[in-house]
Amino acid sequence: MTKPYFVYVTYIRSTPEKVWAALTDPVAVSKYWFNMTVECPFTPGSPWALKYDDGRVADTGEILEADPPRRLVIRWRNEFKPELKAEGYSRCTITIELAEYYPGMGGKAVKLTVEHGLEGEGGKFIEAVSGGWPKVLSNLKSYLESGDVAFKE
Amino acid sequence: MSKPIFVYVTYIAAPPERVWEGLTKPDVSEKFWFGYRVNADGKPGARMTAFNPAGKQVHDDPIIESDPPRKLVYGWKSLYKELPDERPSRVTFTLEALKGQTRLTVTHDDFDEGSKMFDMISKGWPAVLSSLKSFLETGRGLESTWDEEQRRHAGQA
Repeated sequence: MTKPYFVYVTYIRSTPEKVWAALTDPVAVSKYWFNMTVECPFTPGSPWALKYDDGRVADTGEILEADPPRRLVIRWRNEFKPELKAEGYSRCTITIELAEYYPGMGGKAVKLTVEHGLEGEGGKFIEAVSGGWPKVLSNLKSYLESGDVAFKE
Repeated sequence: MSKPIFVYVTYIAAPPERVWEGLTKPDVSEKFWFGYRVNADGKPGARMTAFNPAGKQVHDDPIIESDPPRKLVYGWKSLYKELPDERPSRVTFTLEALKGQTRLTVTHDDFDEGSKMFDMISKGWPAVLSSLKSFLETGRGLESTWDEEQRRHAGQA
């Protein structure tokens, strides 16, 4: 049996620097990530936390790799739902590159790839992020391209 | 090893009717689908056709289900001779209205194990659907030089 693993690719009319800034700037994050705030200096080894706007902690972890504006790896655990927290730490790898949409197609945009897998066994955490990431990344793309977001809960 | 299934969800700040137009009307598709004219406007039993920017037909597949603007299902077999000759697969579009916005789910399945077409569509759909979202939200699809080159080649031929 293969372990559940989430992969999502979106192409954004932007620059890698702007995408990196949107992923790491708390003000930007709150605009497309449903008012969540992120607290982190985004340097390797630094603690990382995602909080609801009322201050409750949603997720915590640690920055494993930070190579602006190309690559960010976060060790990530849910803190809010006991059944998700019980599955332990996950690893989220975010890759940012200027790429052709398709080989030979010409025309470049920022290719943003998010990969998210558990370090151990389990399926609930990956199921949860599989529902969440498309909303967040759709909104991130809209935020960078139009200044607004696509999906309001 | 199990049969591969591709699933992609995107949220678009446009009503389902506009997303449906983008998926079914060639005059709209050519603005974001890298120059392709995709016609899937018919009832079940009619054909989904697609022409590349050079005017060459690349799809002639059956429309299996059509419930505008909620659900569209069609077969998928490329007419490109250069591509591996595989039996047809199936594409399902599900459009859900959310406060004037749309959650679009694209499921592409019914592949044989080890399908090469599966690898190609897994790269292709994120590009097409990213461009569709850009087009509907900002009026501009993602740029491609490929369609211009195809038209130029067609003009020289």
